[in-house]
Amino acid sequence: MWALEPAGTPGRSRLLANTPLALIATLGAGWLAAAGLAAAGWLTPSVMRVTALTAAHGGLLAAALAWGAADGGARLPRGCPLVMVALIGAGAIGAVLDPRATVMYLAAPAWLAVLMFRRRLDGLGLAPRVALRPLLVGVAIGALLGGHLLLSASQTLGYALRGGGTAILALWAYDVGANLISAECFFRGALFNRLQRRWSFAAAATVATGAALLRYVVDPLLPKQVEVMAGALFYLTILGAIDCWLLWWSGSLLPGLAASWLFFLAYRLLAIG
Amino acid sequence: MREIAALAVSIVAVTVLGSRAEVEATSLLRHLYFVPVIAAALRFGVVGGGVAAVTAVLLQTPRVFAAIERGGLTSAAAEHLVTCLALVLAGTLVGRLASYAQAQRRRTETLLAVQRALAPDTSLELALGRLRACLAARLAVDDVALVVRQDERLVVAGGTAVAAESLAAEVLATGIPRFLPDVGRGARPRRAFVAPLLVGGDSIGVLAVEREGELSAPERAALSALAAHCGLALENARLASRQRRFAEELAERIASATATKSAFVAIASHELRTPLTALLGFSELLAQRRFEPAEVRRMAETMQHETERLVRIVDDFLDLSRLERGLEPRLSRGAVKVAPALTAAVEMFRRAGSHRLVVECEETLPAIDADADALDRILKNLVANAMKYSPLGSAVHVGARATDHAVEFSVRDAGRGIPAEALPRVFEPYYRAPGVGSARGAGLGLAVVKSLIDAHGGSVHLESAPGEGTRVTFVLPAAS
Repeated sequence: MWALEPAGTPGRSRLLANTPLALIATLGAGWLAAAGLAAAGWLTPSVMRVTALTAAHGGLLAAALAWGAADGGARLPRGCPLVMVALIGAGAIGAVLDPRATVMYLAAPAWLAVLMFRRRLDGLGLAPRVALRPLLVGVAIGALLGGHLLLSASQTLGYALRGGGTAILALWAYDVGANLISAECFFRGALFNRLQRRWSFAAAATVATGAALLRYVVDPLLPKQVEVMAGALFYLTILGAIDCWLLWWSGSLLPGLAASWLFFLAYRLLAIG
Repeated sequence: MREIAALAVSIVAVTVLGSRAEVEATSLLRHLYFVPVIAAALRFGVVGGGVAAVTAVLLQTPRVFAAIERGGLTSAAAEHLVTCLALVLAGTLVGRLASYAQAQRRRTETLLAVQRALAPDTSLELALGRLRACLAARLAVDDVALVVRQDERLVVAGGTAVAAESLAAEVLATGIPRFLPDVGRGARPRRAFVAPLLVGGDSIGVLAVEREGELSAPERAALSALAAHCGLALENARLASRQRRFAEELAERIASATATKSAFVAIASHELRTPLTALLGFSELLAQRRFEPAEVRRMAETMQHETERLVRIVDDFLDLSRLERGLEPRLSRGAVKVAPALTAAVEMFRRAGSHRLVVECEETLPAIDADADALDRILKNLVANAMKYSPLGSAVHVGARATDHAVEFSVRDAGRGIPAEALPRVFEPYYRAPGVGSARGAGLGLAVVKSLIDAHGGSVHLESAPGEGTRVTFVLPAAS
């Protein structure tokens, strides 16, 4: 038993320890520069979009990888966060050039899967083995929330279901490859995981969910209609809290990822934005 | 699972029933949601109540929001929204109260189980093992250990030892509970909590628990209270065990003392009766018959000898009586010359002629600071003992020699000796070593000797081996 061993009080690093600050600062500076140049009319909105997506999702994933590796006692391959940013950037460029090229986003989760099978991401809750029961619960919750969203949005707000296979596939690829993976890895796998090792579950889940909500509220891609914002906050609060609970219960990020994927799958079926 | 399915079916059934009524019609059917929500809260606590309430709200929102879209926030729609809010409040509040009540019930059951686990007739190791098993089964933690300080060692249940730099050792030293939110590197945080087992403000041990997952502040407070209870229960068990042990020892001692007293009364009666019989017999003979002067003298000497024995026995009784009352023998100390005292003490026994008495003493020995009568009684007791337990005709050596500011006396015989196991008790009152056979005595001689020597500030020592005789040496201070 640990309490009887001579280990003493375990050293706890600072909350923001191991953050790749130089990379994030560079991404932020690039984003600001692109925004400035776009505002001045020297850059097209597409370039601005690529820069923003790369900086936001790439930055979150890079930070998550660095935190997860440090917390799990693993070593990442050299330049791994940079590779992740590059993969997100490639996906963003592909999506701008041709909607069908949005599948390039899937390179990011593929790279994460490789790292996961090499046991480099245990600290993020991404391990090859996951219990079936939490995974099924995650699938059920995602399906339930997604179904409810489809029902209530189409009934209440009158949103129609989206047509066009390629457009939906492109959005799904974006969610799977960048949007969800970056949010889950950072806000649950990294931030919540660190917080729950310092505070109670409730406090950690509240802060992590609040931070994730903030990220979606400031997301320029989210439609700004009040009813959409209110609905997004409603569902994302429930989803975020449940994802925290799934990670806390199972020790794995995969059930939460499954829940989020299914919910966003339903969300993308709605003709919003 | 059956209960969850029943709750889900009832919520869906209420939804189906309510879907036939228009929101604007202010259907009261929606209030039926309270039944499964409160049932879930009572059965599964705050999580169950919350999940059931949110599910009920989610199932109503498509219709409620659609009605608001169509006709605005009418009073009926507002009432519906209030119902939704009331469902969430009822689910969580009732669930919280139910969780609290369940937790209290579990705590009470745990306290009772702790009391049952600590049967007072067991050793501390066994009691701790039982207590740990009881707590492990009831606390729903991954690991539990109990450490209790006993004398200079630590008894551990749930581990082998307590490391000096460990959290348990720290809490044991400070008596302040410690909580660490994560002590592992696993996928889930491993909480560790160590609470002191308190008795009257002192830490007699610790209760340590570890759990992968949440260990909330109320749970930690409950664990601290439980640890304090365990401390008191352990202390009570320990006191009860000690009290019972004392009672058993006391009963044994009383029985032994009673037996010893009975034996003493029998022996003392016999000891008193023997000289009295001799005195009575000789005095009757002298009164009824006429004897030759030499025969009369012999009888008188025998009567004097028996009378002196009677006096010694009575003196021993009196000294013993003072000893048992915690009083020292009365002494009238002064400078006493050793050689004359030795010779005088031995002379009486020499007349009996049963043993060869050898006095080894220099005339130039310094005088001692002692009560002359007490010294005489010490020597006579020791010489009488030596003669009693050695064969007729054998030698008894009585000697004295000077040491640093003292004189060491010794009485040595070649008798049967004393068994090694009896040696520690030979100076106890009434004690008679095994194998003394028909030798006369009340078991008081050596006890009186020791008390007299102690009263002088001297010391006495006895060496003996079966078949090789006994040597008693005692030291008394020289006169200044």
